[in-house]
Amino acid sequence: MILRLGGGLEFLCQLDVSDGKILLASLGLVWPQAVTSCTISFFLYFFLSFSEASQRQLEVSRSFADLRSRVKAESLVFSLTDSALFIWPNKSFQASLDDVDESTACGELLQYHLFLFFPPITCSSQPVVNLRFMMEITEPTEPSAPCLYRENKKHHCIRMVLPMDCVVTVRSDETFGSALSTQLSEMEAVTLRHMKDTDVPVPRPFHFSLPTSTELVTIVYPASVDDKGLESFRKELHNRFELPDDRPYFRRSNAFHFPDEPYKDGYLRNPHNHLNHPNIEGAKPYLVQGVYSYHHYMQDRMDDNGWGCAYRSLQTICSWFRQQGYMERTVPTHKEIQQALVDVGDKPAAFVGSRQWIGSIEVQAVLSHLLGVTSKILFVSQGSELPSQGRELANHFLTEGTPVMIGGGVLAHTILGVAWSETSGQIRFLILDPHYTGGEDLQTITDKGWCGWKGPEFWDQNAYYNLCLPQRPKAI
Amino acid sequence: MGRTYVADDTVQKYLSSLHTAGGVCITGLLIGQLSLQRDYVLLSTKTPHRDSDGPGEGHSSSGLLDDADLEWATEHAKQVSQMLPGGMSVLGVFLIVPPELSKEAPSTLRRLVFAIEKHISKGRLWDLTEEDITERVTLQICSKTKKALCRSFDIKDPKSSAKPADWKYQPVSSSSWPLVTCTVALDLQISLPLKSLDDICIKEGLRSWANRIKAAVCLINGKLVADESELVPGQKKNPKMGKQKFQVQVLLQTLEDMGSSAVTQCCRSFISIRGAVHCRAYLQPNKPRAKHAVEAIRKDLMNTVSCRVNMLMEDLLMNEFNDQGVMTGVQPLPHRVFVALPASDFRLCDYVFPDESIADVAERLHEMLDSRVTEESIDSSLEPTHAKTPMSSRTADPIQHSRASKQHIEAPKDIKKSNMQQYYTGDFYIPLLIYIYIYIYIYINRTVVI
Repeated sequence: MILRLGGGLEFLCQLDVSDGKILLASLGLVWPQAVTSCTISFFLYFFLSFSEASQRQLEVSRSFADLRSRVKAESLVFSLTDSALFIWPNKSFQASLDDVDESTACGELLQYHLFLFFPPITCSSQPVVNLRFMMEITEPTEPSAPCLYRENKKHHCIRMVLPMDCVVTVRSDETFGSALSTQLSEMEAVTLRHMKDTDVPVPRPFHFSLPTSTELVTIVYPASVDDKGLESFRKELHNRFELPDDRPYFRRSNAFHFPDEPYKDGYLRNPHNHLNHPNIEGAKPYLVQGVYSYHHYMQDRMDDNGWGCAYRSLQTICSWFRQQGYMERTVPTHKEIQQALVDVGDKPAAFVGSRQWIGSIEVQAVLSHLLGVTSKILFVSQGSELPSQGRELANHFLTEGTPVMIGGGVLAHTILGVAWSETSGQIRFLILDPHYTGGEDLQTITDKGWCGWKGPEFWDQNAYYNLCLPQRPKAI
Repeated sequence: MGRTYVADDTVQKYLSSLHTAGGVCITGLLIGQLSLQRDYVLLSTKTPHRDSDGPGEGHSSSGLLDDADLEWATEHAKQVSQMLPGGMSVLGVFLIVPPELSKEAPSTLRRLVFAIEKHISKGRLWDLTEEDITERVTLQICSKTKKALCRSFDIKDPKSSAKPADWKYQPVSSSSWPLVTCTVALDLQISLPLKSLDDICIKEGLRSWANRIKAAVCLINGKLVADESELVPGQKKNPKMGKQKFQVQVLLQTLEDMGSSAVTQCCRSFISIRGAVHCRAYLQPNKPRAKHAVEAIRKDLMNTVSCRVNMLMEDLLMNEFNDQGVMTGVQPLPHRVFVALPASDFRLCDYVFPDESIADVAERLHEMLDSRVTEESIDSSLEPTHAKTPMSSRTADPIQHSRASKQHIEAPKDIKKSNMQQYYTGDFYIPLLIYIYIYIYIYINRTVVI
C-alpha cells in the first residue's frame, strides 16, 4: 500500500538589497590610472556579487530551516482525504476519531475513507491512501501577547508555495515527519543550486518507479528548468541508481502515475493490459514496453472516418514517445502531420487539409522530422508471409519495445506485441485498431476486439504490407 | 409573515427607564443574535451624549436627527459592535419619540439603520453571504404612551420598505446559550512593495489571511462535525445541564500550487503580526447547528484581528503626526478583556492598550453601554499580556526560532547590536574597502614614482 502525503507549504524569504555594490564599483573608476581603476572596479563588483550571492543563499537556507522546524512542530496535522480522520503525528499521535491511535495498522486507515475511488484502469494493484497536511493554529503551546512588528528595510521578498509530495511505503520504518523534513532538505539543495540572483524556481517532487528497486524514488526538480537543462543531473542519477545510459528513466514524463489520479486528457492508456494472453503452446508474449494512449477515428472532434487510420496509428506511436519522455511536445494533429510531410518535401503544399492516406514511409518521415526518431521499414510481399517475420517482431519488442505501424491493402493498424513460439512458429498478433469510432469505453474496446489478439488470418493474404518499426533514441 | 424579535426582560426595563425631556428623542442600539427562526435581543443601550455647543441633550430640537447626530450614532454603533463577542451583533436601533414627532420617526429610523449597517461593515474582513440574515429591526417607542412599534428592513436592498415584525418580551436565560471558544496563534507576514500605500497593503494582507481562515477546517471538541448536524444532540433543554462549552480547533488548509517560479517583489518594509488571541462566541439555544458555531468563531476571529490592527494603525498615525517618522520595531496590539454585564452571563469585550488601565475600561463601558461594572468583574486573564512575553524562553521553542521572531526580540535591544545583523551587507564593506583602496593607491603610486 502506498501512503502519499501532499500539500503546499508557504515559503517566505527576505533577501537584503544592498546598493553598495554599484556604488563601490563606480568608485573604482575614479582613480586616475585607467587600467588599475577598471580592474579594481571589476574586482570589487565580482567580490561583492559573490558575497551577496552567498548571503542570499544563507537567507534561503535559514528559511528552509524554519520550515523544517515547523513540520516538526506539534501543530502539524494530517488529514485523510475525504474522511473525518485527522492525525497529529507530533503530538503523540492524537487522532480525531476515537479508535485510531499509533498502533492502528495502516491498512485499517483505508476503511475511514468515506468513498474509495477505484479507477477502471489500475496500473498497479496497490491501493493509494492520500493524506494532506494542515497546520493547526489554535491551542498554541507557548502563547504570547499579540504584537505587530515592523521593519523599514529595503529588501526582496520571495514568496512561493512548495508542492510537498512524499511517498512512504508501509513496510519502511520512515515516519512521515522525517519524510517531510528530508524532502524539505532536498528542495533546499535544488533551490540553492538553481537560484540566480532573486530568480527562484519552485522545487517540485516527482516519483519514479525504477526496475532496480521496489520502492518509489522521489527526485526534486526545479520547475522552471526544462528536461534538456537537467540532463547532467539525470546522468548523475543514472550513475547513482546503476541504470543503463541508453534509455530515460528520470524525465518528468517518466514519473510514476498513481492509480487514483485520472489522466487529464481522457485517452485510454494501455488497453491491452486487460486482455488475457492467447493460449498457444510454447508461445511467449513479446509486448510493447511502457505506456501509450489509444488514438482512433473520430477523436478530438476530427472526422477522419475512412482515411485517417495511419494518422491515428502514428498518433499512438507519438503518444508512446511522449509518455516515455522522448518527446515534450504534444501528440501531433492530422494537420501537423501533413505539414511535417510538406516541410520535408515529401508532399506538395496542397496536401495540408486534404484527406489523403499516408503509409509507412510517410510515418517514418514524420517520426524522423518531428521527433528525431529513426525507424526501420519491413516489407512483406504477401500477407501470408507475415508469420515468418515472427522472430523479427519478437526481437523488436524485446529490444526497442515501441509500437509498430503496419500498413497494407487499404488498412493501417498498430501492432502492440506478438505471442510467438520459436519452436512451432505459431504466432498471434496483438492489434490496436484505429478504425474504432466509438467513445473511450474500455469494455467495448476489449470485448469487440478493437484491441485484441489476432491470428495470421487477420491479414489480407495477397496484399503486400509495409511495417514501420520505430527505434528508441539513445538518450537519457 | 414578519420576523419575531424576542427581547429579554432587562431590555424592557432599560427602555422604560429612559426619559425624554420634552421634544427630544433618544436613539439607541439593540444588540443580540440573529437566527433563522427568531431573533433575540439581549441588550440595549442609548447613544451617549454628544458634546455639542447647542442646547438640549445633544439632539437638536429642530429636526429629529441631523447629520452630525447621525454620524455620532453610527460611530457609537461601530464602537459597540467591536465590543461584542461572536454570535452577537447590532441588530437594529430604537427611537423614543414624543407623539408630536412620531410622523417623521419611520424615515429617521430607516436612515439610521442603513447608515449604521454601512458604517459597521466598513473594514470588515468578511462579507454577508446568502446564509446570513439581512433583516434589521427598528423599534419606535412613543414617549408618552410607551407603545412600541416594531418594523424590520432588509439592509441588502437599499430600496426595501419596512416590514411589520413581532416584538415580545421574554426572559432569556443566558446560561442555556452554548459557548464556543478558542485561542488562535497569529502568524501574518505582510510585505509592503516599493510603490504602495501602507493601509492598502495591510488591508490586502489581512484579506488574504482572512481567506485562509474562511477556507480552514474547524473541529468542534476535537471532531469534524457535519455542517447541518446539531451541536447539542437531543432536543430537551435540560436546565440541570451546566453551560454547554465547545472548544474549536482551526486547521489551515495547505496552499494551492503557484506555478514554476517564485514571486519576487522589491519591498520597502515588512510587517509581522504574531501572538495569541482569544475568541469567543455565543449560540442561541434553539437547536444550534455546527455550521453556526464555526461561522460565529470565524467571524469573531476575523473581527478581533482586524479591529486590533486598525486600532493600532490609527494610534500610530496619531503618534506620527505628533512625533516624527514612521514607527518601527515591536508594537503591542491591544489586549482583549472580557466583562460580564450585571444580571447576565454574557461576556462582552473591550480592547486595552498597554498604557491604559482597567479603570479606563470600566469608564468606556459605562459610556458606550450605559452600564456600571466593577473593576473586579473585568477578566483580563484570557489572553497573555505583554508583561508575560518571555524573552528568555524564545530559544526553547522551535516554532518561534525563525528570522521574524529573532528580529522580534532583537529590535528593542541596543542599536549597536542590530548593526551586527548588517555584517554582510554593503554598509559594512564601504569603510573596509575604502581603506583597501587607499592602501592600493598609495602602493601603486609609490612604485610609479620609484
